Amino acid sequence: MKEISKQLRKMALRLSHKCQDGNLQSVFSCLDIVWVLYNDIMEWTPETAKDDDRDFFIISKGQATLALYPVLIEKNMFSMDEIISEIGLFHSRYSIQTDLTKFEGGIENNAGSLGHGLPFAVGIAAANKIKNLNSQIYVLCGDGEFCEGTMWEACIFASSKKLDNLCVIIDDNNSVGAMVDMGSMKEKLISFGFDVESINGHDIDEIKETFMQIKCRCNGKPKAVIAQTIRGYGSKTMMENDIWFHKSPDLNELRILCKEVDEF
Amino acid sequence: MRKAFLKRINEIIPNEPDTVFMTVDIGMWAIRETLRDYPQRCMNVGIFEDAMMTIAAGMASRGLVPIIFGIQPYLIERTLEQIKMDLAYQKQGINVIGTGAAVDYPKYGYSHYCAEDAAIIKQIPGVEFVAPGTPKQFQQLFNESYRNGHTTFFRISDHPNMLYDPDVKFGKATVIQTGTKATVIAVSVMLDAVMGVCKDKDVTVLYYTTLEPFDKAVLQENCKSGKILIVEPEYRGTLLDDIHAALPGKQLIIDQVSFPKEIFRNYGTYEEKMNYYGLNSKNISDKLEEMLDQ
Repeated sequence: MKEISKQLRKMALRLSHKCQDGNLQSVFSCLDIVWVLYNDIMEWTPETAKDDDRDFFIISKGQATLALYPVLIEKNMFSMDEIISEIGLFHSRYSIQTDLTKFEGGIENNAGSLGHGLPFAVGIAAANKIKNLNSQIYVLCGDGEFCEGTMWEACIFASSKKLDNLCVIIDDNNSVGAMVDMGSMKEKLISFGFDVESINGHDIDEIKETFMQIKCRCNGKPKAVIAQTIRGYGSKTMMENDIWFHKSPDLNELRILCKEVDEF
Repeated sequence: MRKAFLKRINEIIPNEPDTVFMTVDIGMWAIRETLRDYPQRCMNVGIFEDAMMTIAAGMASRGLVPIIFGIQPYLIERTLEQIKMDLAYQKQGINVIGTGAAVDYPKYGYSHYCAEDAAIIKQIPGVEFVAPGTPKQFQQLFNESYRNGHTTFFRISDHPNMLYDPDVKFGKATVIQTGTKATVIAVSVMLDAVMGVCKDKDVTVLYYTTLEPFDKAVLQENCKSGKILIVEPEYRGTLLDDIHAALPGKQLIIDQVSFPKEIFRNYGTYEEKMNYYGLNSKNISDKLEEMLDQ
């Protein structure tokens, strides 16, 4: 695992430890994707975070919001010192999920209930088409989230309105497999009119190359990237124990998990 | 009222490039040319209220002014979490116009009735609810508020007042007449029936077309008697909390002419329903007389 992937994971662990909450398995499965988007793909900097024509990142799988803070800290949008001293406190701006009304840029939506971020991103994509803005909208969804009907409603709208400025990322960590047999997500999205790619969601080079390619594709089709990921990727303990879906580390566990990440 | 609204859409879409109109497959004939000429901003999106509400929220976050048209129970009860999360929590403003007020589809059964609309919306802080009584009042209220940045629900009725059509202002109650013995709160399409009973009586009549935010000031200034008869075309109790909040510490005698909180399993006509549930002049008159005798 690359050094940056380790660093981001250790930051997420520290934040989860500090506020004693979080869904770290889910955070670890998508962290590499969020990093590549902000670092290599999106037209976005803290200075342009309120510009009308910026690229957008919408987090639809709200349980993974703790993946966003480490990336935005690395990109100098927020400070680790500030977040770690405030996260989860009564009047804090920062917690397990976001409240965009507390921020002037940097946070694009509120998540928490599943099935909301994708249609919200679709609305932004449609609006940017109306405004003739050349910006891309990336929305991170969970595979389990696609059980929600609003996800498919949004897909119908996106392909019907030819929103090729929209890129739906499915963090496919096989959550849905424990619930229902969804069949092939790729075939489903293709039949819904999407241009679909499948990638290894932990291979930073492959993630980067794929997003670079599809960014240039103005073919009238919304894009979907199905990223094969592993819950808790980066920590042996977390990958093997689903209790880490919703658990925060105590001080001893923090030390053990950070060591595992370093040695991964 | 529906015609007045769709006529307004035909004016707004061509002239205001930051507006977007979406319908869930109703009202298309009246706006067919606008649908044809402005496909990016005037859309029959399909029958999915849930995602449409959130898509509209996304558009609002980019500075557009979305206007949505649908049937009241599907716009409110089906989409409740979208209203809470994507509009209220994120402070995004859209305009939601719902037809099928309370029992306007009298033969369709409980699926199409929505006597609970205002009571539900009033539970979500920051979301506005408007119930015009006439097409003119719809225009006045809509024009005043559709760009105010808040989410506003408009209940449009197929059974407007035909005799009384005062000018109204968004967020304000209108004093129709003043008297000393009681205050009658007439909501939306109930004004004709209220005035049929009250016009020659020594009672105050306040006319409410904005139910959220509720105009407390006008009630405070016009309720010396402490006797209040609420006449509202929605579930009983919808405005009770606002009335108590407007008049803290004051002893009140309150009665209500409204729909009872029950599942309506009957059909028939609109008039039959209104009479069955007592939303008529006789019941208003009986309750008012009883109140004045106390």
